Amino acid sequence: MSFLELDGLAKSYGNLTVVKNVNLSVDKGKLVCLLGPSGCGKTTTLRLIAGFVPANAGSIRVGGQTVSSAHSTVPPEARNMSMIFQSYALWPHMTVFQNVAYGLKLRKVPAIETAARVRTILAATQLTPLEDRYPGELSGGQQQRVSLARALVVKPEILLLDEPLSNLDANLREEMRFEIRRLHDEFRYTTVYVTHDQVEAMTTADIIVVMNDGRIEQAGSPEDIYQRPQTEFVARFIGGTNILKGQKGAGDVVVCDGDIKLRCASGEFAAQGQTAVSIRHHDIRLSEKKPTSVDMNWATGTVSRQIYLGSHRDYLVSLTGGETVRTIAPVDVAIPVGQQVWLNFPPDSCRALAQ
Amino acid sequence: MTSIALNEGAQRRGIDLSWPTFALLTVVLSILVILPLFWLIYYSFRSDAGGGATLDNFAALVTDPALVRAYALAIGMALGVGALACLVATPMAWLVARTDLPGRRHIRMLVTASFVTPPFLGAIAYEIIAAPNSGIVNIIYRYVFGLEPGAYLVNIYTFTGLVFAIACFTFPYVFTLVANALDRVPADLEDASSILGGRALTTLRKVTIPMVLPAILAGTLIAVLQALTMFGSPAILALPAGFHVITTKIWSLFQFPPRLGLAAASALPLLVITMLLLRAQKSILGRRGYTVLGGKSGTPRLTSLGPWKWAAMAFVYGVLCLTIFFPYAALIKTAFTVTVGDPINFDTLTLRHWNFVLFDFSATRMALYNTILLGFLTATVVTAIALVVSYLAIRKTIPGAKYLGFLATAPVAIPGIVLGVGLFLSYANPTFQLYGTLWILLIAFMTIELPAGYQQMSSAFAGVHPELEEAGRILGASRLRTLWEITAPLLRTSVVASWCFVFVGTIRELSATILLTTANTKLVSVIIYDLNESGDLGAICVLGILLLVASFAVVFAANRVPVLGGAQMNARG
Repeated sequence: MSFLELDGLAKSYGNLTVVKNVNLSVDKGKLVCLLGPSGCGKTTTLRLIAGFVPANAGSIRVGGQTVSSAHSTVPPEARNMSMIFQSYALWPHMTVFQNVAYGLKLRKVPAIETAARVRTILAATQLTPLEDRYPGELSGGQQQRVSLARALVVKPEILLLDEPLSNLDANLREEMRFEIRRLHDEFRYTTVYVTHDQVEAMTTADIIVVMNDGRIEQAGSPEDIYQRPQTEFVARFIGGTNILKGQKGAGDVVVCDGDIKLRCASGEFAAQGQTAVSIRHHDIRLSEKKPTSVDMNWATGTVSRQIYLGSHRDYLVSLTGGETVRTIAPVDVAIPVGQQVWLNFPPDSCRALAQ
Repeated sequence: MTSIALNEGAQRRGIDLSWPTFALLTVVLSILVILPLFWLIYYSFRSDAGGGATLDNFAALVTDPALVRAYALAIGMALGVGALACLVATPMAWLVARTDLPGRRHIRMLVTASFVTPPFLGAIAYEIIAAPNSGIVNIIYRYVFGLEPGAYLVNIYTFTGLVFAIACFTFPYVFTLVANALDRVPADLEDASSILGGRALTTLRKVTIPMVLPAILAGTLIAVLQALTMFGSPAILALPAGFHVITTKIWSLFQFPPRLGLAAASALPLLVITMLLLRAQKSILGRRGYTVLGGKSGTPRLTSLGPWKWAAMAFVYGVLCLTIFFPYAALIKTAFTVTVGDPINFDTLTLRHWNFVLFDFSATRMALYNTILLGFLTATVVTAIALVVSYLAIRKTIPGAKYLGFLATAPVAIPGIVLGVGLFLSYANPTFQLYGTLWILLIAFMTIELPAGYQQMSSAFAGVHPELEEAGRILGASRLRTLWEITAPLLRTSVVASWCFVFVGTIRELSATILLTTANTKLVSVIIYDLNESGDLGAICVLGILLLVASFAVVFAANRVPVLGGAQMNARG
């Protein structure tokens, strides 16, 4: 049995259902990322886990104990969790030390042990010289570290992070991504991390849960999510991709609009109705010369945009069928706008998507 | 099945005090706000002669020439005050906020501080300065030109004099709103106009002024409203001049023989006008995209006055003299000399008024005690209620808490004199018998001050990010403990400020007090009004100075309370 289990969880405000039948199991010590666009229900899911909002249906279990159900909600203070907020929520009237020590004070930890534990965690987060400062006197990155230290020092059963890096600038965000992963490797708390940034999710997570419109679209390791997307939404949201719509043909072939036949090495085919094919931008090969056989996994079109980006060139190609695909090519493949090109979609890179 | 569900429901809430608190506050606020309005409407349909239901009271509003005239004069006076205040305050606000006028920061502080002056005290100061016979200006005028005793230069006991005296003490409303709005006009909007070729004056006319127009209008409406519902100044200046405005007319209906039904009916249009004006003001200021602008554009740019500096200084200091320096000087002089007209020298300097007020005249000591007591009680109770109501309303812990916030704001639309009538009708009857006690005054002050207290506390609550409280909860603190250890320290400054605000507002209240006070429950403001009728200006000035000192002392003490530093308050960094 997993440590944290969400079972048929649902939450609605009036007529608006923001979390719909969410099922999720998280093993002890894992870091799970809830990833999705804004309004997909990921933050509400986190707040349900924290106990700030009561559930309308389903349940949440921690270590086998039900903490939330439609009938009862254990209050947040009785859950032994801790949380890092988007605003950091550092108390402006307490020093760094007092902020970090607050949770230990609530747990009636003796003063000497409190001081020792706070100093240890401040050292781990590189905050030792700042312990007497007030939050208003710290930079954004330092505030973020205090917020981490405050959450970690109480040794929570579950650590919750709500878009923790969204208030930081780009450089600091990259640094803190690795910092969060490093601290997780060091302390191994079961962690639920909410973000809309896929790079953040890729860097930090053991398991990524992609959410859309209140539902879980797909859950899996970063490799699973990127290489083996199960839905069009996941393929588009993670990494960006070209989607070509078509019907299942013979065997593993999908016949797309414009009579493009694509053999797909992986994926699911819809027995009837539409099947989509996803192919990543960098997997498409671009050629100026007409290939000898254009029957299978080939298409032709004209270059409608070409941008030089230093490390590569970014192309938009309008296919004769009317679709537009985006692809990237090495810098030395320089084809002017308007010229006819041929595109090769290698079968290994084509993934069929039934939904 | 049902019992199980009930048990689980109880378990979820634990010991939750929010529902009982909510219910209690709803009842208290409903009584405070709705009861006086109910009796006001009830009495307005009740015949003063027989006691039956009648529409005569409303008919009198249109047919009784005295009432019609009182309303017409009141509206004329209010519009005059609004126009004058707007004409003086707008250029002054621009000079102080957007030019290099010397001493502009101090000027701004002075005008803000002059909010503390009760308007009725200003009216009395102008009696001292500009009464036709005993006014200082007229005495000097006769002395300089060697004129007859009857000659005078200025007469404050006229309609114009009344408008002038009230405008002097309502223009800070317009000034503050406009100056703050000017602060918020981002410099780059003006820069955009300049870069397109607009000269300084064109930019001012086409960009800056239109941007602060809502603030000008809103401020003017407030000044109009203040003047319309004011009792003190008209009672002091209009009655000797021989005319009534509506507030004094309502008060006169309470004199023997009382005509309560007519008073109630006359008060209702005032209530309606106030609501309409406040609604207009809200809709003007509500178009926020137009006035209030976010943005990171730095400090507003200042216009260099150049050769116009001296003219601007003359204007600004002239206004300050008329509204602050002269009135205060007159009050102080009168408090320390035998009679108003005496020249200042060692023979005329005296402490007899102080002696009279503090030791001889027994009524003042009781009034001082009552005033301070009621000030403390009102400030404490209102701040406490406002704190809880805004917590419930802002944090939305309970559905329907919004209604509570509405109730707490509603009295803002009830003018003091109207509330006075309503409370008299509600509590002076045999059931309650509160008339003649301090309780009825406490109820009145609580109702009057609740909106201000609530507004301050709710904006303070809105400033405390809910995540600060949630961080406490998730680390293991209960809701009460979070309130006590996290929310309360963060709100301390606002609580103290709100308390002071209510205290200062309470000790200067006259409009409602005048109808609710009796010989045993005199307050300083009422004593001042009584002494004015007997012409004892020296004693009035002593009391006025005591009121002002008490107000400033409270504000000063509040600023000295060790509160949180600015740097620490900035949680977001």
